[in-house]
Amino acid sequence: MTADAAQTRAATTPVACLECDLLVDLGPLAPGQRAQCPRCGTTIAASPKQGLHRPLAFALAAAVLLMLANVYPFLAFKASGLERVMTLTESASALYDDGSRVLAALVLTFIVIAPAVLTASVIALLVPLVTGRRYPWLRHIGRLVFVIGPWSMAEVFLIGVLVSFIKIAKMATMLLGPSFWAFFAFTVCLTAALAALDRHYVWNAIEGRDA
Amino acid sequence: MSAYPQGTAAAHGLAACHVCGKASSAALHRCPRCEAPIHVRKPDSLQRTIALLLTAVVLLLPANILPIMHTENLGRVTPSTILGGVVLLWEEGAYPIALVILIASVVVPIAKILILSTLVLGVARASTASPHDRARLYKVTEMVGRWSMIDVFVVAILVALINLGDLLTIRPGNAALAFAGVVVSTILAAGSFDPRLIWDQVPAQKESDA
Ligand SMILES: [Zn+2]
Repeated sequence: MTADAAQTRAATTPVACLECDLLVDLGPLAPGQRAQCPRCGTTIAASPKQGLHRPLAFALAAAVLLMLANVYPFLAFKASGLERVMTLTESASALYDDGSRVLAALVLTFIVIAPAVLTASVIALLVPLVTGRRYPWLRHIGRLVFVIGPWSMAEVFLIGVLVSFIKIAKMATMLLGPSFWAFFAFTVCLTAALAALDRHYVWNAIEGRDA
Repeated sequence: MSAYPQGTAAAHGLAACHVCGKASSAALHRCPRCEAPIHVRKPDSLQRTIALLLTAVVLLLPANILPIMHTENLGRVTPSTILGGVVLLWEEGAYPIALVILIASVVVPIAKILILSTLVLGVARASTASPHDRARLYKVTEMVGRWSMIDVFVVAILVALINLGDLLTIRPGNAALAFAGVVVSTILAAGSFDPRLIWDQVPAQKESDA
């Protein structure tokens, strides 16, 4: 082994495929390059083309949109001359008021709390990384980003709105408020931010290595 | 001789971190890079998965038998179940939405429970079925589970929106919480299953040295 090769080896972290446990020796990946597990075919790492600026931009946009989504009316409903307007969080608080407290807590967690925590932690993680700062607490934020994902169900909620729309269509008129569109755009931005966050690349950045 | 296939982290006495992917000495309890707990294989993976699947099966009964919501119209209360809602949408001619709800609320939870049980059995009995196919099935169950929550969100939206007193009010039924419980337990069940167990019974052969 040449001195150069030895140095590269020392600069990489030993990683294993999370699906089949094969130990892989990942050298530095070129931007846009993908590493697949030779045993099971799972993508182990995908080096982003534009580094971490892109997910950060999407996460910042998502944060603004989520705030807007909590300010304006989300849906309105008109029947027999009566009108009712609801906000995003009312879909949870109405359940709470009706006595379904556990269900209310679950709904609030899935559609507001988890997406908000996820967005905030992506920003808290990427701002220092993009500006070249390293803090010991970054690893805790990084862990949160990769663990909370399955519990953020903003996009599932959007389909729920669509279904409600069609269920009500026969008996009344349902109108989409500005908050609905903000929440829709929020979901698109958060999804785009997460899609551009490669696990391997992010953790190498947190450790202060080149991916 | 290690009990694990050649070339795996486990065969080298390493445990791969599930959060960051780093392989570290199995003697450590926490990942030195991200501080998440690390294990060579998820502890009691099969037992935990089975326990959570049983929870989901038990909750599936009230979720489908009890009403998911009650419509109160001028003093008349009409309960509706998950399947009743699908039938109603179908009769109204809203076929695509009826199918979406049927798949998300009925097909996916049951398919998820069956697939995960098959995967657990496959590992327990050292099945010789293709590990690629089994791994693919596992990934699908991991991805689609959350979409089952649609019906719960529909109830949440209708309860918040349709509240016109005596004229028309929608209230949540007990099936809503039971069904949310089904979805949460199947997500947790998929999370406690360790896909590496599928591959542990297959000798590793590297296709290239890369
Ligand atoms: Zn693999």
